[in-house]
Amino acid sequence: MLIRSVTVGLLGLLLTACGSTRDTRVNPDAADSVTGTGLQSMDIRTMANRMAADIKEWGVLAPTSDGKLASFFIYEMVNESSDTINKMLVLTKLRTELFKAFRGRIDILDRSPSATDLSNAEQRMKQRGEVTGANNKKVFGSDFVLKGRMMSRDRQAGKLKSSYILVTFELTDLATQKLVWTNDYEMKTESERSVINR
Amino acid sequence: MRLPLLAVLAVLPVAGCSISQPSVPVGSYLGGDYVAVRTFAETQEAEGDVENLAIVLNVKGQCQLALGDVDAARQTFQTAAQIMGTWATSGNEVTAAIVGSESSKTYKGDPYEKAMNAFYLSYCYLQKGEPDNARAALKRGILMDGEVADEKFQADNALLFWMAGRMSRLFGASGAEDYFKEAQTANTFSIEHDARGDVNNAILASPEKGNLVLLLPIGLGPKKFADGREEELARFSPQSHPAVRAQATLDGESLGRSWILNDVDYQASTLGGTAMEGIRKGKAVFKRSTRIGGTVLVNEGLNNLDSDEGQAAAIVGGALLVFSALTSSAADVRHWPTLPSTVQVLVAEVPPGEHDLVVDFLDGSGRPLPQLQHTVRINVPSTGEAWFLIPSLPPAAAKP
Repeated sequence: MLIRSVTVGLLGLLLTACGSTRDTRVNPDAADSVTGTGLQSMDIRTMANRMAADIKEWGVLAPTSDGKLASFFIYEMVNESSDTINKMLVLTKLRTELFKAFRGRIDILDRSPSATDLSNAEQRMKQRGEVTGANNKKVFGSDFVLKGRMMSRDRQAGKLKSSYILVTFELTDLATQKLVWTNDYEMKTESERSVINR
Repeated sequence: MRLPLLAVLAVLPVAGCSISQPSVPVGSYLGGDYVAVRTFAETQEAEGDVENLAIVLNVKGQCQLALGDVDAARQTFQTAAQIMGTWATSGNEVTAAIVGSESSKTYKGDPYEKAMNAFYLSYCYLQKGEPDNARAALKRGILMDGEVADEKFQADNALLFWMAGRMSRLFGASGAEDYFKEAQTANTFSIEHDARGDVNNAILASPEKGNLVLLLPIGLGPKKFADGREEELARFSPQSHPAVRAQATLDGESLGRSWILNDVDYQASTLGGTAMEGIRKGKAVFKRSTRIGGTVLVNEGLNNLDSDEGQAAAIVGGALLVFSALTSSAADVRHWPTLPSTVQVLVAEVPPGEHDLVVDFLDGSGRPLPQLQHTVRINVPSTGEAWFLIPSLPPAAAKP
């Protein structure tokens, strides 16, 4: 009886050993089960939330006493780390969180090349009378520019490696070139290489 | 009599998942039928062994590049890089690879293959206009190239260092000079250790020179095969290919010849001994011993089958033979089969504007190989640089 049970168990194990998969929806704030040393979704979300809250708390982008909204655009994010990243993913998330944090009481400008192209094309169509609408609006000027920089320190020895990532954001006053706000997000991972990959 | 059966069943779950090298149609790739090879890779990606995903993705990325779809190639190489760069491995996978067949594990590539993935990925990012991400890929490649077991061969890939220096300059980052210095050191070291190339490499002598850069993957990279009595040793053999170097002309004027910055065959052969090699050797000894012991016992048993001792010897001998047969000491010989043998570089300072570029690949005697000639209408910007990746393969347009 025992031998029969063990035999059936082993056969079951044999059948399942080569083929179990999953396709599961997970919380983007949960630690990534697909491991690696780069930024994970939880880092990008935490970073964006934290930066947006901090900028608001510092008050540098608050409306003036006469109700004039501050304006800014996101210029770029420079990646000096050893981890390739979709920079727009980080910047777009941050922009969204900033808009939400200020509940729209802020002027966020789109200075991307595509926005300029679209704006120029729309103006031309209005000039030609192909579409309706006034054509006397000027492109908004910006009070501030937001930039980011991602850096890393990677160390590797034998079967171990560590990766320290520092993402710094800074807000510069475009009239005075004064750095009016900066903050950073840090994360560090350590990895041990398996014997089968050494 | 049931015990041997149980033993067989116990070993099967871990030994039964050996994954073989995907049969990439290398001949079609070398013949310029990139659509067929890409289709093969896509089929494997969807239906093949998931453990081989990084191999087929890398092959697919090369085909996408050859077909001019750089954006798709970047995403493909990026996915492969994620697999190849992840160190974490599940306990089940480790157990299966050690107890069963080594080739049951997820293919993550040898350091030279990871470095080549970084090379292609960085080129794709550069074409996207992101030299910072291109340098990030190269930095990762340099780190992964340093994963070779033999410490003296760590960080000897001049190509990655040189490109990282160029990328640093392109996005105004610091460190370019350090990368150029490392590239020179890597080149000198590798040539002293029998890599192909020149100590007085013109590219590395003036590493920042030129606004036209041609990256030229040439030839066919090494093939990995199993050697030893129990196939427990992983070895590399060079593959023959007519092209060995390149020369180019711009609007009919010679731009000179190419220079080797990465000898892929050398990088593969200087991998050094790995921990798995020791494990495989141990398994080979076990496999041989159980086979010999089992044969002796079965012979003894068959000669004395009327006695209890003879029957016991036959059973135990049979079990040992089964264990021997099920123990896989064979080395994992999966590899990226469409890599070049060398990556060479040609740079030139040329006037901005449109030009006719002709790249000729030459055989060992210096004769041009007409079927591999590439004629491209290029545009060199007034500021910045123009980079092109042109492998020693037939142009995509040459195929209907």
